[in-house]
Amino acid sequence: MTHLGALALHLAFILAIYAVVTSLWGASRSRRNWIASGVQAAYAVFLCVTVAVIALLHALITKDFNVEYVSSYSSSTLPLQYTIAALWGGQKGSLLFWTFLLTLFSTLVHLQNRDKNRELMPYVTATLMVIALFFLGLLFFITPPFERLSFTPQEGSDLNPLLQNYWMTIHPPALYLGYVSASVPFAFAMAALATGKLGDVWIRTTRRWALISWFFLSAGNILGGRWAYEVLGWGGYWAWDPVENAAIIPWFTATAYLHSVMIQEKKNMLKIWNMALVILTFSLTIFGTFLTRSGVISSVHSFTQSGLGPYFMTFLILELCVALGLLFYRLPELKSENELDSLFSREAAFLLNNWVFVGLAFATFWGTVFPVLSEWVRGVKITVGSPFFNKVNGPLGIVLLLLTGIGPIIAWRRASVKSLRRNFTAPVLIGALTGTLFFALGYRNYYAIVIFSLSGFVLGTIVMEFFRGTRARQAMLQESPPQALRRLVSKNPRRYGGYVVHLGIVLIFIGIAGSSFFKIEKQISLQPGESVEAGRYSLTYTGIHNREDEHISSQVAQVNVFLDDQLIDTMRPEKRLYKRQQQPTTEVALRPTLRDDLYLVLGAYDEASGFATFQIFVNPLQSWLWIGGILLVCGACITMMPTPAERHAFALARSQEDAAHETVTN
Amino acid sequence: MAKQRFFFGVLVVVGAIGYLIYTGIRETSNYYLTIEEFLPQKDAFANEGIRLAGRVQTGSVQWDPKDVQLSFMLGPFEAKEQLDTLPGLRVNYQGILPDMFAEGRDVIVEGKYENGQSLIAKTIMTRCPSKYEPEKPETQAKATNP
Repeated sequence: MTHLGALALHLAFILAIYAVVTSLWGASRSRRNWIASGVQAAYAVFLCVTVAVIALLHALITKDFNVEYVSSYSSSTLPLQYTIAALWGGQKGSLLFWTFLLTLFSTLVHLQNRDKNRELMPYVTATLMVIALFFLGLLFFITPPFERLSFTPQEGSDLNPLLQNYWMTIHPPALYLGYVSASVPFAFAMAALATGKLGDVWIRTTRRWALISWFFLSAGNILGGRWAYEVLGWGGYWAWDPVENAAIIPWFTATAYLHSVMIQEKKNMLKIWNMALVILTFSLTIFGTFLTRSGVISSVHSFTQSGLGPYFMTFLILELCVALGLLFYRLPELKSENELDSLFSREAAFLLNNWVFVGLAFATFWGTVFPVLSEWVRGVKITVGSPFFNKVNGPLGIVLLLLTGIGPIIAWRRASVKSLRRNFTAPVLIGALTGTLFFALGYRNYYAIVIFSLSGFVLGTIVMEFFRGTRARQAMLQESPPQALRRLVSKNPRRYGGYVVHLGIVLIFIGIAGSSFFKIEKQISLQPGESVEAGRYSLTYTGIHNREDEHISSQVAQVNVFLDDQLIDTMRPEKRLYKRQQQPTTEVALRPTLRDDLYLVLGAYDEASGFATFQIFVNPLQSWLWIGGILLVCGACITMMPTPAERHAFALARSQEDAAHETVTN
Repeated sequence: MAKQRFFFGVLVVVGAIGYLIYTGIRETSNYYLTIEEFLPQKDAFANEGIRLAGRVQTGSVQWDPKDVQLSFMLGPFEAKEQLDTLPGLRVNYQGILPDMFAEGRDVIVEGKYENGQSLIAKTIMTRCPSKYEPEKPETQAKATNP
């Protein structure tokens, strides 16, 4: 099987070259059959890569330890789901998996545009295949995944225990999907620049792909946070680690693009800006991959130095040169036809939103690469940690939260005082009331009060929008409230899906504020029978016991949780030892409620003295962050639903196809 | 007119972000050094925030489970045998041990070098084994292509 896999990769490499050459040649000479041949080759590349993926999976599942990758990332006792996850658990496998997703998307794009965008498609094919070629080249020359050892080890060295967690099995694929799908809008942007077809066609074709990419990036980041929260055992979910930053920076620019593209659609402004954002987002996904694999910046969870860095850097520089060169060449054709009328307008609000998002991306980027930069410039390595990112990104986030409330409802062009009063009186009152309430309750953390007030304000605007829309339908079309609400959303999925996303964002802000400003943290050593207070809970340590299976041996502590002198739960934090790697890991015990999470870590157990050391966290409102995350991805799904116009067009095309089919059969 | 106001707006936003980054770096940055680089010039860092990479010296770890206090000597990476004779830096830390912490391991500690005496660590990060790429045993070094 592995020979077949290696052969398939060789073939894919050659076919990708063929696809690039024929599409570009065919486009420049307007040869239909060359272009078609290029598309066929792109399909074939996908097939070959799929064969390679299956071959590697087969090697993993059959535990063929003679294959270097298999012996490095799995073991005979590794459960099946993690054996499959080992496909993206290591450097080589993850590159192969990446290539697989890229060619999968390339196939979907080609199928979707079979009869559409004739001028653009050859360049789209060429761009996607050049990217695929880069990854195939890495797999071919630098990190061959099917490398065999000169002998067969009895046992593999197992997957990193930190990755043996169900969140980790879905988090990397989600993130990869987000990263990889960013290359589709990029490919269309390149095609638009290359052909000079700079109208709205490419924007409309790629809008949904941009949404898909954003959807997966969001999901990937949220799942990553959840993984960190459950597995790493430090009581938090986001540490601004370089690898986390690598994933959030493209999310910032992608979010900016999703907003600014609306201005282009409505007002024909910001064309250059949008092009730049698409290029930037794609470049940042490549940069992110570079960051996690090059070892340039030390991180808790990156791949080791693997010599891949220079290749990624070269590819990135070449890509930027070509993309920016093309952009510069088309600059005169991309000039805006409209200008900003007033600072009190939706355009201005969206523009500010874009600046802040790009600012966030820049600040995060700057902090991440600062150690490298300072070493170049001053000769000393200076690092910045989470305090820097919190200090810079916190205020920017608050501005964005405010804009979340203003942007969607302020009038286009120029907002009159009257319209401002009509739209904003109620939400502002709600926000002010929320703030006053928290102040009256005795809270004096002004940062938190500002976030809660703004959350109240934004919630007010969202509820008002849904309420107004529903009531208008009820009044005009005599629909019942649930019916009116459903139709309201399905008539305009982008707008109302967007509101659901915003709702998710507000809940995420609430979760972040609660868990960072009101966190209770305690470290304590206890003998069996001793108790400790943590927030509203009282905890009693009752004892510890050992548990063994063939894969893991662990010490399990038992802690009784009391609330108002009532026993409400028994929690069991663990210290695990994964036998193959002899690596101790903590298994957090978590008791989430809507009000707060009780988070328990068994730090150490000292057999001589009988002391068990615990780290106890009470994270208020933590659950709202995850609920917000779920709402956010649900909202993103709603925005991707077809609009009534699109459904209509689709049905029309379908019936015409059927009619044509019938005439043929008749 | 609108254009001027627009550029003014851009200036304000860029200025604000620049200011945030500038003060953020000034107030929160740490020097990142290896212990070898640090020891000869340690007096220059008195009461400064620093981040040090080094190796936990064998036989130097004192762990008080009752008060959750950790103390150890941070020494250079090389010369494993002579570790005890090499100069190091005393690190004190209040908190639970990171999972991978052990004698002879490479760690990064972040904290304040107080009174030119010892490092009061805020965080201890363990380094090498938490990476995805396993170290290759020497016997595996000769890999062949399929």
